[in-house]
Amino acid sequence: MAKLKPILLVEDNPNDVELTLAALESSQLANEIVICRDGAEALDFIYRRGTHEKRQAQDPAVVLLDLKLPKVDGLEVLAKIKGDPATRSVPVVMLTSSREETDVVRSYNLGVNAFVVKPVAFDEFFAAIKEIGVFWALLNEPPPHRGGWPSNA
Amino acid sequence: MNQTSHSATRPVDLSVCDREPIHIVGSVQPHGFLLTLALPDLTVVQASENAPSSASPGASLDGAFPELAVLVRRYLDGEAPQDGATYLRTVTLGSGSSRQGYEVAAHRVDDLVVLELEETDNLSGDAGLDALTPRLRAFVEHLHAARSVEDLCQLLAEDIRYVTGFDRALVYRFDRDWHGTVLAEDGSGILPSYLDLRFPASDIPAQARELYRRNRLRIIPDAGYRPVPIHPSATPAGKPLDLSQSVLRSVSPVHVEYMRNMGTMASMSVSILVDGALWGLVSCHNRDPKRVPLQARNACDFLTQIFALQLAARERGAQAEQRLALGAVQARLLAYMAEEESFVDGLLNHPDDVLALVNASGAAVVTAEKCRLLGATPSEREVRALSDWLAARDEEEVFVAEALSEVFPPAEAFADRASGVLAISVSKKYASYVLWFRPEVVRTVKWGGNPVKAVRPDPSGGPDRLHPRKSFEIWKETVKGRSLPWTLPEVEAAKDLRASVLGIVLRRAEELAAISEELQRSNKELEAFSYSVSHDLRAPFRHIVGYSNLLKTREGANLSEKGRHYVETIIEAAFSAGTLVDNLLSFSQMGRHALNKVTGDLNALVEEVRRKVQRDITPDRTVRWEIGDLGRVHADPVMLRLVIENLLSNAVKYSRGKPVAVVEIGRAPPQDGEAVFYVRDNGAGFDMAYVDKLFGVFQRLHRVEEFEGTGIGLANVRRIVERHGGRTWAEGRLGEGATFYFTLPIREEAH
Repeated sequence: MAKLKPILLVEDNPNDVELTLAALESSQLANEIVICRDGAEALDFIYRRGTHEKRQAQDPAVVLLDLKLPKVDGLEVLAKIKGDPATRSVPVVMLTSSREETDVVRSYNLGVNAFVVKPVAFDEFFAAIKEIGVFWALLNEPPPHRGGWPSNA
Repeated sequence: MNQTSHSATRPVDLSVCDREPIHIVGSVQPHGFLLTLALPDLTVVQASENAPSSASPGASLDGAFPELAVLVRRYLDGEAPQDGATYLRTVTLGSGSSRQGYEVAAHRVDDLVVLELEETDNLSGDAGLDALTPRLRAFVEHLHAARSVEDLCQLLAEDIRYVTGFDRALVYRFDRDWHGTVLAEDGSGILPSYLDLRFPASDIPAQARELYRRNRLRIIPDAGYRPVPIHPSATPAGKPLDLSQSVLRSVSPVHVEYMRNMGTMASMSVSILVDGALWGLVSCHNRDPKRVPLQARNACDFLTQIFALQLAARERGAQAEQRLALGAVQARLLAYMAEEESFVDGLLNHPDDVLALVNASGAAVVTAEKCRLLGATPSEREVRALSDWLAARDEEEVFVAEALSEVFPPAEAFADRASGVLAISVSKKYASYVLWFRPEVVRTVKWGGNPVKAVRPDPSGGPDRLHPRKSFEIWKETVKGRSLPWTLPEVEAAKDLRASVLGIVLRRAEELAAISEELQRSNKELEAFSYSVSHDLRAPFRHIVGYSNLLKTREGANLSEKGRHYVETIIEAAFSAGTLVDNLLSFSQMGRHALNKVTGDLNALVEEVRRKVQRDITPDRTVRWEIGDLGRVHADPVMLRLVIENLLSNAVKYSRGKPVAVVEIGRAPPQDGEAVFYVRDNGAGFDMAYVDKLFGVFQRLHRVEEFEGTGIGLANVRRIVERHGGRTWAEGRLGEGATFYFTLPIREEAH
C-alpha cells in the first residue's frame, strides 16, 4: 500500500501550529503532517524545491493555509497553486483569523476549496480542524489523475 | 406728375425696398443742379439734366462759371475734405429774370468733385447762423437742465421746428431691433400728432439707415417732384455716381410714396448719432412743399450734434447710475444670502430686491427639489419645463432672451408674463436656476397720444400700408411675444449675483468636501484598525482559550480543584473577549458595507432565521412562535437577516426564565409611509427608564451572569435599520416581556 498523502499545514504562528496539531492529532489521521512556516517554504514543498527537493513526488491531500504569512502571503500561495494546471487539483483550505469579507471573496475568486475562520471557542476549533482533516484527507475523492506520476495510493 | 396716377400705375412694392440701391439712383431733386468735375482741370464730366447748358459734360468749369471754379479750387486747397458735403458760399448765377441765387456745396467722390447748387431765395447767406446764435446758446443751457431723455428730445423737437418752421418735428428713437418710437414732438397743429407711436423696423430699411448714418441730413422740399437724371449716368471710371453725400440726391420712390401717404409734401430728417451709431432721427414734416435754407439745415445739424453729445453723456450717466443702484440691491441680496443656511432662503425672503436687481416683474428660484415663484410668473410646471429646457441646452451661465417663444415655443402660452427671460445657472450638477421674467412689451406701452386719433384716410386713396395705424399694427405684430430688452447693467447684475451665489455655494461645498475627506480618512483608519484587530487581537484570545482547554483536558488530572476553576475562568474570560472582538468587527463591517436592496418575502427570511435560532435552544425549553403575515419588503437581505437574528435570539434568550416562552413576530399598521414590524417576547423585559440605552454599543441592562452578551446586537439592529432609512424603538416592562419595533420605508415595488 502506497504512502498516504501528507497534509500540508502552512502557519507562521507557533501557537497555532501547536493547537492545530493537537486538533489533528485527536482526529487520529494517519497522514503525515508537514509544517511550513511561510509561503515561500510552502511553495518549495509543493514544487519539491530547496529543502524539499528530495521528497517523494506526491501532492498533499490538503493544504491548510494561513492567510497572513511571512515572505509570500497565503493569497499568493493560493494563486500560485490554483493558477498552475499541475497543482490546481490540490485542495486548499484557508484557515485564518480574518473575518474580512474582501479576503473571503478574493480567496474564492482564486479558487480556494474552503475558507474557515478559526473559531475562538476551543471545542469549535477542534471540531473544525478535525472535520477538515477527515473530510479532505479521507473522504474527498480527488479528480482522476491525468498522465504523469501516479500520485495517490 | 400726378400723385394719384403715380401711385396707381406704380404700386409700392415694399418688399423691393430693402434691396433698392438708393445711394446710386442716378438722379437729383429739381431744386438745384449737380455737376461732377474731373481733376485737376475741373472739366464737367457729368451734369444733371437741369444744369445750365454752358456746364454740359465736356465743358470746362473755368469757362462756364469762373466764380465757381475759384470756389472749388479754394475748397480743394483747404483742409482735408470732411465727411459730407461742405457748404462753400451763396452765389448768384444768370441775369435778368433768370437770375437765381444758389447755395453751393461740394464733396469728393473718389477722384472727382461733386458740385451741387441748390436754389435759394436768401441771398445774404451768412446771416443765418449768426441770427441763430442766441437760440443755440439757450438750447445748450436748457439741455443741461433737462431731467430726462424725453425732456431732451422735447427741447430738440421744439428748437428744430423753430429754426426750420416745419409744421411738425418728431424725435424718433430706434430700439435694438430698429423698431422706432416717437419720444417727443413739437407741431403747429396742422399735422396729426405722432407722439408715442411705434413704427416697425421695416418702415426705415437697412440701407436707408446706413445712408442716414453716413449723411446726417436729408431734405425733400417737394414730394411731388420729378427726378432729374444725371448725364451721362456713369462716371469716367464707368461706375454709377455714388450720391450718398449729395444734398440734392433724389430719394427712393417708396419714400416719396410714404410721404404722400402721410399727407406731408416736404420733409427733412437729421440723424442722431451716438458713438457713431444711429440712435434716432429728428423727422420734420410740412403739409405743403417747403424749402429750408442750407444755413438753417446746418444749424439743425449742429443742434442735433450737441443734443447727441448730451444724450451720450446722459446715457452713460444713466447706465452708471443704474449700475450703482443695482449694485446696492446686489450687495443687500448678498448679505441676505450669506445670513441664511441656503442662498435660496436669502433670495426668497426678499422678493422685492430680487425683482429690483434686474427690473423684472417676476422671478423663480429652481433647485432640484423645489421651484419657488416670486411676482408675476408662469406656473410652476411651466417654469420647471423652462428650466429643464435650459439645463438641456447646457450652454451658457447666463441666458438672456427678449423673445423667449422664438427659441422656446411653449413660452407662447405665457408671453403675457414671461416674454423676456434672464436666467443664471447656479449649479450645473443639480440644474439649479434663478430666473427673472418680463411681460410682453405691448402690455408695457404707455400712450401719450391716442393712436386712433392719428389715423387718417390715405389722401391719395392708394395703398394703405404706411399709415401710422398700419405701422403700429405691423409693429405690434413684430413685437408680439417680446419684452423690453434687458440692459447691460441688468445682465451684469445677474451675472454678478451668479458669481456671488457660486461663491457661497462653493464655500459650502468646500467645507463639506473637507469634512467628507476627513471622514474618508478616518474610515480608512478604522478599516485598517479592524483588519489588524481581526488578525492580531483575535489570535491571542484564541490561543489562550486553546491552551487553557489543552491544559484542562490533558493536564487536568495534575491540577487541584482550585486550579481547574482558574483554568475554567481563563477560558471563559478569553472566550468572551474573543467574542467581543468578533462582534465589534461585525459592527464596524456593518457600517462600511454597501447596502444591496432587493425585494423579498420577509416571512421566508424570518422562518429561516427562526429555524437557526431554534437549533440553539436547549431541549429543556419550550418556545412558542407566533408569526403573523409580514409581507414583502425592500431591503438588503444579508443585513436584514442580522436584524431578525439579533431580535429573535434576544427574544429567546431573555425569555428563558419562563416555562413557556412566547415569541411573537408581526407587522403593525404602517406609519408615515413606513412599514412597521415588531418582535415581542414574554421574557425578562426591561425598565423603560433605561430604554434609551438599549440600542447603544456595549450598553447592557443585565448582568453577565443573568444573560450573556456583549451589548452589540441591538446596536447592530439600529444601525442596519437606520441605514435602510427606518427607525427602531422598544417597549417593555420589567418581568413582563419586551417588544422591539423596526420600520422600513415602503416602496411601490415592495407590494
